[in-house]
Amino acid sequence: MKNPLKTALLAAAVITVPGMAIAGSLENLERERSILLEVMFSPSIENGVRHEKLALGKRRLIDLERILLRDKSVIGRNTPEVRSAFENYDLTFLVHASVDKGLSMVDHWMEQVGVSTHSIMGSRIGRR
Amino acid sequence: MKYPNTNTHGSNPRSKRVSFALMTAACGLSAFMLTNSMPVLAEKNPEWRPAPTERLVKLPSVYLKKVIERDFSESDLANAIGDRDARIALKGKTLADLRDAVDDAEGEMRTELRHQFLAEKKEYVKLLGERQELHRKQLRTKVRLYGRILKGLKRKTGTSATTQRLLKKQEEARERLERTTLSVDMKVFGFGVGGESKYSREYQKNMQSVQTLMAALKDHPMNAEAEIDGKRIAKEDYVRQLATNAEAEMALLDQEGTILGYMAKLVALDAMALAENLSNLDPYEEDIDDKGINDSIDLFITR
Repeated sequence: MKNPLKTALLAAAVITVPGMAIAGSLENLERERSILLEVMFSPSIENGVRHEKLALGKRRLIDLERILLRDKSVIGRNTPEVRSAFENYDLTFLVHASVDKGLSMVDHWMEQVGVSTHSIMGSRIGRR
Repeated sequence: MKYPNTNTHGSNPRSKRVSFALMTAACGLSAFMLTNSMPVLAEKNPEWRPAPTERLVKLPSVYLKKVIERDFSESDLANAIGDRDARIALKGKTLADLRDAVDDAEGEMRTELRHQFLAEKKEYVKLLGERQELHRKQLRTKVRLYGRILKGLKRKTGTSATTQRLLKKQEEARERLERTTLSVDMKVFGFGVGGESKYSREYQKNMQSVQTLMAALKDHPMNAEAEIDGKRIAKEDYVRQLATNAEAEMALLDQEGTILGYMAKLVALDAMALAENLSNLDPYEEDIDDKGINDSIDLFITR
């Protein structure tokens, strides 16, 4: 019974490792972006600390966005993750898109996910 | 007196040794015959096996045709065609000499020379036929090779609809990001704490080197795209043009085959005439024969 287990583990490694290797720059960008979003919306962080963390995260994100765009391994790589990333430029390349639109990162993100003052004010509690 | 190891105890070792020797001799003889016949077989069926397609797909267009021609020139098929060409040229000279000799001869000698002339013409037509067949083989191989190269090129560049859409999106993203790079740098690094990142600095330096190298690659003669009628064309179009040229040559070969057929018919009729000993055909025959030989020599020279 050792052999089938070994084979299964090997197969799993073969399937997962190439995917991880190929989407490295995308994965890094998404990880950094999610950390930044957490900093943006976390209620437990003080404003001063939040501001500093956002500034540092923004600079890191700029580089990661450019690294992803210049990554040759991603060109034409037809996976759902890559397709989704490039279908949603405004969400993927958060910093560059927000500067392009003249908005802050937070405002730009909120606009992209459809959260606005109008939508919040117009919302009401009710049954689905 | 009884001898040991007689038939009552098993086979005779002496007869064993004799049969073994005979078998070895037979094997040796057949091996000898086989190896000696191999050059004949190779000669009778010369081949050209072009270089692997993967290597050819990567070559620049300008270099592709030269590599294929050089590969062909090193093959058995090229040697066989060269051999036929040499023999045809020699046979042509022999025919010309014989024709002059027939003109000068009389009586029995003339008849004898005419026989010889006819035999040489038959051989000449046979050689032309062999050469045509070998040339056709070369062209068929070429057409198949170009087909494989085209398939290889399509595999390299061919993409599904979703991949094409993705590539377009990636290109648009790239353009959009490059447009905003300067404004992002100004806004984030222009009056913030610290300057631009190490990645940005090094990237700019490397980009200059990349651009210089790309310019050098573009101007390199071996990287030049192929041209037809002075116009640059893509590699796929160039290979398609080469395949079309090879097909056209094959069509011309078919036409030359028809001409060869007529020449063979004339030789057959000449043989019949000679057999019937129709003396009044003498001047007529020579004119027809001369016209056929001249035509074939012209075709040979222009090929």
